[in-house]
This record gives sequence, structure tokens and C-alpha cells, in this order.
Amino acid sequence: MSSDAVKKRKPKVVRNEAGTPETKRSRAEGDQVTYPAGPHLIGQRKLITAKNQEVRVYNEEVELEDRDPQQDYMLYKDTCADLAKLMAEIQELKSSGAKVGSVEIEERHRQCSVHFITLKKLNRLAHMRLKKGRDQTHEAKQRVDVLHLQLQNLLYEVMHLQKEISKCLEFKSQHEEIELVSEEEFFQEAPAEISRPHVTRDDNHQLTLARLDWELEQRKRLAEQYKMSLARKEKIQKAIEQKREYLSSLQPGLQNIMQASLPVQEYLSMPFEQMQKQAEVARHLPPPLYVLLVQAAAYGQACDKTLSVNISGDVDEAKALSRRPEDSQEDESDSDAEEEQQNTKRRRATVGVQLEDKRKAMLRRHPLSLCVDLKCKDGSVLHLFFYYLMNLNILTVKTKVSTATDLSGAVSAGELLNSESLLNCLYASDHGKETPNPANRYQFDKVGITTFADYVSDLGHPYVWVQKLGGLQFSSDGAQSELRGSALSASHMEKTMKLLRGRLQARLALHKQFSSLEHSIIPVSSECQHLFPAKVVSGLTRWTMMSYQEFTELGFVQHVLKAGLVCETDLFFMAVVERGTARLLAAVVLNPRYPEVMPLFSLSLHWKGERSGRTEDNLRAMESEVNVFRAELQGPRPGLQLLTNQIQRLCVCLDVYLETESQVCDGSEGPREFPREKMCLRTARGPSRLKPFKYNHPQGFFSHR
Amino acid sequence: MFISLQLLHMSVFSQSFSPCGRFLAAGNNYGEIAVFSLSAALSPDASEASQKPILNFTAHDGPVFSLLSTDTHLLSAGNGEISAWSWAELIKKVRISCSVNDNSLIVGGGDNNIHIMDMETGIFKSVLKGHTDYIHCLCFKEREEEILSGGEDGAVRIWDARTNRPVHCIEVFKYEECARPQFGKWISCLATDSDWMLCGGGPSLSLWHLRSMSPTSVFPLPGCQREAVFYQDLIMSVGEGPHVSHCLHGGTVKAQIPCTPSSLNTLALNLKNSEHRVMTVGGSSHQIDVFTNFSYRAFSLSF
Repeated sequence: MSSDAVKKRKPKVVRNEAGTPETKRSRAEGDQVTYPAGPHLIGQRKLITAKNQEVRVYNEEVELEDRDPQQDYMLYKDTCADLAKLMAEIQELKSSGAKVGSVEIEERHRQCSVHFITLKKLNRLAHMRLKKGRDQTHEAKQRVDVLHLQLQNLLYEVMHLQKEISKCLEFKSQHEEIELVSEEEFFQEAPAEISRPHVTRDDNHQLTLARLDWELEQRKRLAEQYKMSLARKEKIQKAIEQKREYLSSLQPGLQNIMQASLPVQEYLSMPFEQMQKQAEVARHLPPPLYVLLVQAAAYGQACDKTLSVNISGDVDEAKALSRRPEDSQEDESDSDAEEEQQNTKRRRATVGVQLEDKRKAMLRRHPLSLCVDLKCKDGSVLHLFFYYLMNLNILTVKTKVSTATDLSGAVSAGELLNSESLLNCLYASDHGKETPNPANRYQFDKVGITTFADYVSDLGHPYVWVQKLGGLQFSSDGAQSELRGSALSASHMEKTMKLLRGRLQARLALHKQFSSLEHSIIPVSSECQHLFPAKVVSGLTRWTMMSYQEFTELGFVQHVLKAGLVCETDLFFMAVVERGTARLLAAVVLNPRYPEVMPLFSLSLHWKGERSGRTEDNLRAMESEVNVFRAELQGPRPGLQLLTNQIQRLCVCLDVYLETESQVCDGSEGPREFPREKMCLRTARGPSRLKPFKYNHPQGFFSHR
Repeated sequence: MFISLQLLHMSVFSQSFSPCGRFLAAGNNYGEIAVFSLSAALSPDASEASQKPILNFTAHDGPVFSLLSTDTHLLSAGNGEISAWSWAELIKKVRISCSVNDNSLIVGGGDNNIHIMDMETGIFKSVLKGHTDYIHCLCFKEREEEILSGGEDGAVRIWDARTNRPVHCIEVFKYEECARPQFGKWISCLATDSDWMLCGGGPSLSLWHLRSMSPTSVFPLPGCQREAVFYQDLIMSVGEGPHVSHCLHGGTVKAQIPCTPSSLNTLALNLKNSEHRVMTVGGSSHQIDVFTNFSYRAFSLSF
């Protein structure tokens, strides 16, 4: 390496010295130049010549090691000083006018050159020293680097190993997640070859292994069992499927049987199927209708075989309704509020339409309705259709009468079976024109309905008894009854049904009676014949219906109007009884609750002037005879003969009146118009000298009461 | 409804004031007697309730045609029986029938005879026969102890109370001034005031002088009169027609005061009590009109 360095350096040296031509030339010639240099140039020099002369190796590095840098530095300083001195001398010489090529100057030039060479050498040496130093540093550095690298490697490895160790230490083997049976159990249960207690008791690792083994075995066994159970389950499932199919195949067969049994059911009057179907539909009924249905059906079953109840209407709509009842109500109240605001802001014709719609919505009926049929002995049926108005929470009823025989003929009976007024005043003052629910008043105000009566013909009558039958109790009914719901309905059912039936029968009887009254025949049944004498001469000549207006215009009825015994819902008739020249007009007030309430007669006699019950005591006595004695006149049990008996009695009384009147001589002694045929004990009694209007039965005479 | 029907057809036939004059008893055609408290009805703070009876009971089967008050008892006559009620008990709202001990009671009956009954013992003392038809009215002349009776047969008979013999018989309908053949001949009201006698019915109401047995004045009243009384110098009568007639002795009709019933059966004057001096009339109505000032109707009591 050092020889390479020399070889490399040599050209450098050569080239460097090309600056001073003589040195270079001198070297190339191979001359040895002896410099008058000092002792510092003494050293070995290696020269390689082509002539293979003795080889002198000049190694400046070797020389370098021997020299002392301090010395060299001193030498440098001296040299520089000498140079400076020489230069100064030269300068002096030159300035003192010596020639250029003078010997002193040349001498000094030579010395300067030598000094320059010394400087060069010193420079070279300095460079070499520097290089050497650098090389040494470099090497040391390299060594240090290598070591550093090794250190780094080791550190890295240490860290790696540490990590590995920590990982190993942290390692949770899955086996810890397995819930093993506790040790005692393990030692008890596991067979010896697995548990190996002699080993495992000491060694935890082995113990764990053993336990794991045992766990594995147990699991395997259980897995086996599981598979078997699964297989069994599949089998059973299949069996169930089969059976199900079998059953479903039975269904149509059963249906057929049910269908076939319907006629049998009807024949035996045990309509199970019907009842089931009804129960199905009944689930969708609103509560009041449901109560009514249950109570009516129960009553029909228990007490009254002729009553039957059906549900009619659209079940799907009802189902749809029952799904969203609250939403629609809330929406309605919200939309009501919104619409009201809108309405107040802009008033246009559309308000009316909106209002109409709101009214319709408010008066909406539930799609399902009940139909109750009451059959009477003579074959006529009273059909009652019950509806539920959802928003108003009231029940209404519509009626229809179907009769076995065709009712015709009686003109005056037109109103009797009119479905509008048939059920009027079933209970006193229950007109069914206004809604019994006081809360409805506020609802009506919102949509501008002033009277409910306008809608009654459409929606049905909201009678109070209908509400009671549905279990609806409103506070205006009086706070007496504390019953609610079914109890209320049950307590009223029997009475109401009886009243309804009574009403129908009364009306039908009246209808028949009217048709014969219009033919001037007073139909008196055989049970009531004993009330009247055998021969009655006065006869009914006319029977017509009047309106309330016409009634109030009559002069002789004012006392009845004043006494408040008449109201607009009553039926008014005019009967004319005649005998000879005498004509008796009777204005009859028929209360809808006939025959519970007696018809009221007011009389006016046209015979030799006009007299009425107001002007003449005897006519008043006749009125009293006809109006007051209900117990006698009503006849057998349902009392349906009342009106006809009253009319017959009126005829009898007129007979008596006319015949006994003739006792008073009226100036003319001629034959009396009405000969005395009736047997009377006495023709006058008391201060008002009343006539004997009371008929005594088997004896057949008339007496005073 | 039935009650108002009954009320519609009710007639009041008789009235009588209590001995103290504070109560009025009225009998109707249903056989009921109602006792009204006049003091309550006449008091300044009278209300509707005070015009209702304080006591109402059924006395007879048939109508109560006449009521008579003695000092302690109320006698009621119905269809064939006479009952006596103690006023003291009635005022206390209890009703029992008991007998009376006082003088005799003269009863005119439907059997055409007049019976005189001893009120102490209740035994009929004597019978006065003579009428041919039932007797409408009776009155008693105290001074001469004579009984006057008028009947359906149209005759007014005068009887001597001591000897029980008929003294006179006046057939009113035979007198042309009074007779009204279109109505009949029956006499339904009689009243005497010492020498004078009022009688009316079918024939017109007429004032007779008993000494001369002749009619002095005839009252031109349209209907048949059923009851007439002398009061001071007026004659008041009621009958057919809804009014009370005030007449003068001379024969003129001074006033006709309207009242509620369409025809009247009974008139009563409460002279026993000066505080409650009223006139009450009843007839074909359930209401009894009360006149505090005899010229106009004040209010009505109602059954």
C-alpha cells in the first residue's frame, strides 16, 4: 500500500515540481543534484531507473515519522524569515542600482530558490502529515463505526428478543377460554388414563393438558348426542308435517258436514253455526251495539222466544275503522282547528261545502247495525234497526212493520204505523227528536247544526230507551240510576221489549179498529158486550183524522188544551155520532202511549142549538163517563178495546141523554122525537140534575154513579 | 195524567165553613171532602200551596151532595148515608166518623121524604111525607119553627116542625110569572129570611112573601138557579152559567160576577168569622172561587 502510494505520489511530485524547470529537468536526466540544502533533506530516496542501477527508494513517509512537527514549524518560520530577509536584500540591491544579473542578486536568487524548495517540502510534509492524520482518523472512525453497527445489531436483537419474550409471556392460549370443569370434578369424573393424577397433581402444565383432553372427550361425546337428537327431531318434524296435511285434508270434509247440518240445525232450532258467525262479526261492533246485542240475545233466549237479533252491515269497513280510530279522531280535531282558522281568514262559498262535509263526518254511522225482530202472535213483525253514531256516541233506531195480512183501507190509520212516529213516546215524553247526549251540543255548535231533528228521519230516532238498552247513560237522565253498561241495559230490556210489543199490537189493533170505524161499525168484542145494553140506537157516522192545527181551532176543546193534557205528538180524530136530528161531535185525543193513556173525548152536541161540555152539565157528565172510567172500559188484558168501548159508551150515553131529555116539555105537546126506551131508575139527581149514564149489567137499567 | 183527568171532570157539590170560620170543607162528585185553610189562603204571604187542601179524604162512595157544619161537627151526606166528622179532628188532619150530640138534623132525601133525626142518639125521630119526587133543598124558619122543602116535583112545602105536619104547599110552576116550562118545574134552591122566601130552579128565581103566599118579584136570570142566599139587602144566587148574580129585593139584577166554573152548584158565606169574611162558590170545576170582596173574584182554591 505504501508503495502504491509512492507510485501515485511520484507523478504528483514530478508534476508539482514542473513549476521549477530546473528541478524537473534535473530529475528527468537523472542527474543528481545536490542541493545546498540543510540537513533536513537528508533521507532516503527511492529512484526507479530503466537502467537498473541501484535502486534507491526514497520514502518520504518514512522520513516523515522521524521528523518532529514542531521543528518543522520552526524551520518554516526560519525559512520564511530568511526569504523575507533575502527579498529585502534583493530589493535593496535592486533599488541601489545593481544590475539584474549580478552575482549577489543571483546568489540571493539561488538562496531564495532553495528556500522555496524547503518551503515546498515543508508544505509537502505538512500535507502528508495531514493526510496521515486524516487516514488515521478515518480508520479509527471506521473501526468505531463497525463496532457501533455491531452494537446496534445487538441492541436490536435484544429488543426483538425482549418483544418475543413478552409476547410469549402474554400469549393466551385458547385453552384458557374453554370453561373447564373444576379440578375436583375433573379428578372425580375423568377416567384414570386421562387424568393421570400421579403426574398432574404435581405438574400444572400436565394438569391443564389432562383437563383439556377430558374436555375434548366430553365434547365429542356431546356432539355425538347432539347429532342423534337432531336426527330424531327431523324425523318427528316430518311426522308432524304429515299429520298436519292429513288434518287439513279433513277441513273441506268438515265444511261439507257443517253445510249439510244447517237444515238440521234449523229444524231443531239450535243455530250453532249462525251464532258462531254472529259472534265473529260481533267482535267488530262498537261497545253500545255489542251490549245491546248481548242483552237482547240473552233476553230472547231466556224469556222471549219470538225475539231475534241479527247483525247487518259491512264488516270490512268496521274492521278498517277499528284499526285507526284514534288517529282519525285526533286528525279531526286538529284539522278542525286548522279549518276554523282558515275559515275566519277567508270567507268564501267553499265554507259551506266544508261545513257540509264536516257535518257529514260528525253524523257518520258505524257500518255495522243491529236488527232486532219482535214477532207477535198474529204473525206481524216489528223490525228495529239500531245504528251507532260514532262521533256523537248515541244510538238511534229505525223501525219497520211487516204484517202477516195486508193492511189496507183505513184512511185515518195512515199515521198509526208510520215508522217515523211509531215509537214516539214509548216512555213518557221520550220524543226522540233531540239527542240525549248533552256533549253533542258543543259538537253541533262547531259544525253549525242547530237542531238534530232535521237529521232524524235520515239517521233514526235517538230515543232515551235506546241509549239505555245500549248501556249509555247520560247525566241529563237524572242521577238516580247508578247502573252502567250491561247492567243498565239488562234492567231496561224486559220492560222495553214488552212496551215495544205492546205498542205494535196496540197500533195494529187500532188499525183494524179504524178500518171498521170508517165503515161506521163500532167493533165491540164479545168480552165487552156486557158493558153496553143490547140495543144501541145512536150510531157512528164518521171517523176522520185531524191535524193538531185543526184540533186547536175547535171551540169546545179549549179546556183540554188549557189543562195541558195535549201535545203536538198526539193523534187527533173526529167522531160524529148521530141519532135523528141530533148530532154529537167528539174530538178525540189519542196519546202515542195508547192504551196506557186513555184517549180523551171532548163533546159538542148539535140538537136544538149547540151545547158543549162547557155549557151543559150533562154533556160534561157524559165526557166524564167516557174519559174517566178506564178500569171498566179497557176490556180484557192488553186493553186494546179501550177506544172502541169508549165510542160505544158514547153512543149509549147519547141515547140516554136524548131519551131522558124529552121529559122536559118543550112547549109542543106533540110526539117526542126520541121515545123513552131505556130503563132508568130516576132521570135526574143532585143539584145539577144529571142524567143516569151508568149502565148496570145483567139488570139492564141505567143509574147514577 | 190520570189525576189531571180526574180534576178535569170534577164538580164541587157542597161547601161548609168550620165553626170557627177559618176552614172550608168542600165535597165533590168523587165522594171526596177537602178541607182548606182559609187563614192560610187569605194571609198576605199566601202561595200556590196554600190554595191546596190541607186534608183530602174520601168520605162516601158517591158524590157528596151536601155538607153541614154544626158547632163541633161536619156532617156530610152522600149516596144514602150521612157521616159526621169532628171539626177538631179534621183540623188536625185526622178523620174519624163519630156522632154528634146536639139538636135534631133534618135530612131531605132521595126517597122523596124528609127525615128528622135526633143527633144525640142518631135515631130518626119522624118522617115528613108529601113530596112526589126527590127533595132538592131544605131550609128552616127558626122563628116559627117551620121547615121548608123544595123538590123535583116542583112543589115547595112548608111543614110545622113541632107537629110534623104540612102547613102549606106552593106549586111554583103554576104561577105564570115564575114558570119556565122550557126548563121544567123542579125547585132546586130555597132560602128564607123571616117573612120572605126565595125559590128557584126550573121556574125563575122569585122572591115570595110568605104571609100572602105570593111572589113579589121575579128575577130575570137566564139559567136555573141552584143556590140562593139572603145577605144584608142583597140576594146572591148561583146556578147555571159561570157567574154569581147579585140581585135586589125589587127584582133587578144588580151584577153578575164571573167566576171560573162553567156552572155553579154551591155558594157559601163565611159569616161566623169577621176576619175571614169571604164568599166561596163551587161548581163544575175542581176549583173553588173565593171572593173577599163580594164584587169580584180574588183567587181560587183547588182540589
